[in-house]
Amino acid sequence: MRPFTYRYPRDQREALTAAAAEAGAKYLGGGTNLLDLMKEDVERPTMLIEVADLPHQQVTRNADGGFTIGAMLSNSATANYPEIRTNYPLLSMTMLAAATAQIRNMATNGGNLLQRTRCPYFYETSMPCNKRAPGSGCGALNGMNDNHAVFGWSEACVATYPGDMAVALTALGASVTVQGLDGTARTLPISDFYRLPGDEPERDNTLQPGELITALTLPAPAFPAHYYYLKIRERSSYAYALVSVAAGLQLDNGTISQVGLAMGGVAHKPWRLTEAEAFLTGKAPSEENFAEAGVIAMREARPLEHNEYKLPMGEKAVARALVQAYARN
Amino acid sequence: MKKLIAGTGDAISRVEGPLKVTGMAKYASEFPVENKVYGQGINSTIARGRITAIDTAEALRQPGVLEVITYQNAEQLGGYDEEMPAIATDTPMPALQGPEVHYYGEYVGLVVAETLEQAQYACRLVKVDYAAEEPNVGFEGARDSAYKPSERSDYSRGDLAAGLAEADEQLDLTYITPIEHHHPMELHAVIATYENGKIDAYASQQMVENSVKTLAKTFQIPESDIRVRAPFVGGGFGSKLNTERHVIMAIMAAKMIGRPVQVTVTRTQMFTNTGLRQRNEQRMRLGAKKDGTLTALGHDTLSHTSTYEQYQEQCGTVSKMLYATPNNQITHRLMPLNLQTPFAMRAPGEATGSFALESALDELAWKLQLDPIDLRIKNDTQVDPSNGKPFSSRPFVECLRIGAEQFGWADRPLRPGSRREGNWLVGYGVSGASRASPYQESSARVELSLDGGEVYAKVQTGATDIGTGTYTILAQTAAEYLGIPVERITVELGDTKFPDSPGSGGSWGAASFSNGVRVACQNLLDELRQRAGKEGQDVSVETLLLDNELATFAAEGTASRSEEAQDYSIYSFGANFAEVWVDKDTGMYRIKRMLNVGAAGKILNPKTAYGQIIGGLTMGAGMVIAEQTKVEPNFGNFITRSFADYHVPVNLDLAEIDVIFLPEEDKIANAMGIKGIGELGITSVAASIANALFNATGKRFRELPVTPERVLTTEVEAGVLQSR
Repeated sequence: MRPFTYRYPRDQREALTAAAAEAGAKYLGGGTNLLDLMKEDVERPTMLIEVADLPHQQVTRNADGGFTIGAMLSNSATANYPEIRTNYPLLSMTMLAAATAQIRNMATNGGNLLQRTRCPYFYETSMPCNKRAPGSGCGALNGMNDNHAVFGWSEACVATYPGDMAVALTALGASVTVQGLDGTARTLPISDFYRLPGDEPERDNTLQPGELITALTLPAPAFPAHYYYLKIRERSSYAYALVSVAAGLQLDNGTISQVGLAMGGVAHKPWRLTEAEAFLTGKAPSEENFAEAGVIAMREARPLEHNEYKLPMGEKAVARALVQAYARN
Repeated sequence: MKKLIAGTGDAISRVEGPLKVTGMAKYASEFPVENKVYGQGINSTIARGRITAIDTAEALRQPGVLEVITYQNAEQLGGYDEEMPAIATDTPMPALQGPEVHYYGEYVGLVVAETLEQAQYACRLVKVDYAAEEPNVGFEGARDSAYKPSERSDYSRGDLAAGLAEADEQLDLTYITPIEHHHPMELHAVIATYENGKIDAYASQQMVENSVKTLAKTFQIPESDIRVRAPFVGGGFGSKLNTERHVIMAIMAAKMIGRPVQVTVTRTQMFTNTGLRQRNEQRMRLGAKKDGTLTALGHDTLSHTSTYEQYQEQCGTVSKMLYATPNNQITHRLMPLNLQTPFAMRAPGEATGSFALESALDELAWKLQLDPIDLRIKNDTQVDPSNGKPFSSRPFVECLRIGAEQFGWADRPLRPGSRREGNWLVGYGVSGASRASPYQESSARVELSLDGGEVYAKVQTGATDIGTGTYTILAQTAAEYLGIPVERITVELGDTKFPDSPGSGGSWGAASFSNGVRVACQNLLDELRQRAGKEGQDVSVETLLLDNELATFAAEGTASRSEEAQDYSIYSFGANFAEVWVDKDTGMYRIKRMLNVGAAGKILNPKTAYGQIIGGLTMGAGMVIAEQTKVEPNFGNFITRSFADYHVPVNLDLAEIDVIFLPEEDKIANAMGIKGIGELGITSVAASIANALFNATGKRFRELPVTPERVLTTEVEAGVLQSR
């Protein structure tokens, strides 16, 4: 690991000020990804500003019935928080499918949003990777790309976003609140927080330099009865998704009145399945409709040389997640 | 005689257990050697070519950095006289001897610093320039370079073509197993001291005696000037059989700077610098009569070695001897690739070979519409067909029959794809297993002492405990043969100052070490009886010491292989059963149940033996579930470089596991009737699961691992789902 300065700010203002003063500064949450990347020499911050103990640790109910979750709360605490379990069981289920108990205990919600890709070319500093070393090329595009994107990739980058939590947040239509040094906070939908690689794959998201994630906001409780997170992976724990699906259904009089559907492991960001959602809205919750939603979900997919399997897997996963969500009550 | 407390055969808890759970058991990197410094290896970032320049200036300027060793300033070491030498556990291991790069991740230097962190950081600052060449890292394009590595590579009896011609049913299929890595929990590590021309090393090694031989040849000094200690080893699986290059570099550094040097290999370096199981393509040709009688068995293996050393895994071993077939042909071929030299990984040959053989038998059974157990029983033999010697004992059929009964084999789905449980397809699979049970000469020293009216014993041997329970079984052996309670016995292991022992490997450990301790105990008692004039009398050690007016007494003993054993083929046998549930749509599956039945001679301690077998089953399940090291085709590096990418099974992946040891004492194998189990446990496990996957889905998985992608993209075998 390269030498760096460590800061433990007493409050948010001090954290923001320190970050603004040092171009190479990074905020440190649980460190479950950043420290690994530093050991691998992929991330080379000159300063770490520890923010995990800042007082963004609460879960509070908002006027619209939704909830705000502190960015510094741990993944474990969030997933097991009684009001999250009751009102957003899809989020709980998804978070508990991630990583391992030990990692979930350390990881903060804000830090988890910033988890970086698992693309092997990104991790190996002797390989070309536009995300790690802009301009060096994409090693995966014509290399091994079995775990890479089938949606929204560019010639510059075919990496996927690896996390789970943000997939459920996308299905739930959550938003992210970030704080800048000038005192203004901005809140943006999670789909605008993440971005596609385009020709700037080094940018995973739309955070501006020095901005600090302080909260996640969930709209009024959704899918408390019919929800499922299906994670297809090579082993039952401590493995990233090959494909994952977060599915939530609201039923009214036997028809689907509201749908939340998002996929993980298929794009540079959690992939919201808006067309499949639109197709299902107002339909009967039948196996046929769920299967059709799977087909619709993958219609626009563009596989690479080694990941064509994600198309049938994605179709089946969407259909199965919906079946499981419907069956749950 | 006093009532024995915990002799051999008793399922006692590990005597070394409390040391381990309290952190008192010291592993190689944990010794507080005074004045020690830290070395960190630098790995090449090309797979083939030459180093053209090395700039160490910035690294050397860093605080705490003491030395950067590269081929430019490394001492000249002993090496090989021949090209492409076959490596073994006692052959030289030269490091940093030239500018050539043979594979990605090869050591090109070592940084030595006061702290580990300083060494690791400085490694990033050493600039190495290369003239890179196009590496050969894949099978395609290299097949023409395949060669026969040695006379041992081929074997045949009868006429394979004739046997195939007379068969009613034949098959010709290829099975593929990927590169795998051993990954014991304890990282390879060494703390090396070099003083007055002598080497003293704490090193995580499975065979300390052979480590001395390697070091003597490499540093060109007498073996008597070298001491290697490995009191506790946190798993090896074969990767710690030979003395890898980090040990050589640490000693080199200790010589250069005059201080003890510790080198701990990182988890990522465990992929590139401590051996691997190579990729194998195994072509199986089987022929059989309608009743299942095998008329021919051909097993051709194609795999790879490095471009500078040779290692060949004997995948065809089991195919020579497990089934009675008159026509048998085994070949092994290697291609030199720009990858690290492979080396033995748990059940080298059997783990991979049995996947091919036992999968192919299942395919043959389906073609013949025979119960796969009946097919195996039909071809059972009590005489080793590869050499004509009788098996010392071979309850293979019993393993299969008892396993079938315990597992409920009769209730299996007879037709693939025919049993559904909700979204799951249920399948059962079986496989037969066999592993040689070799024996190596092993010595021990036993010392008695009388204290407060009680007799205590200390056992010392150069044998190692690689997590298997050697401490415990040797304490049990001494307890039994000395007639004193196991609590009063201390065992000391893993030091070349102790009597010679082969160390742990090849499933010879338990039998060899225990018999060595037995003979030492018997020698000790004989000498005491003789001194006391009580030859042939059954007298307690306490009485013997008192009669001789001795407070302490010691003796040594060596147990060699018996003459009788040379006339027999000595193997352990087993059978594996698995039940899998496969999701009908998504490619996911679960292993629901596994059963292993083993016949492996006397089980010294059912508790530790059970641990070894479930470990083997887990590793076998890992071969199917996900274990594979992936090679980047353009650059030649491994893209699996941590436990996040290289997927070993987690608890949740594993099934309800049952292990049955058939009661057996094979007195032909050795006087205590012991055979090996360390490798039997992994052998053919993968086939039992792959066969169960076929039974569930009608799909044949001839390439490991069986990932969700492969489940989803593999076609159902033609005609299988229709009733026949």
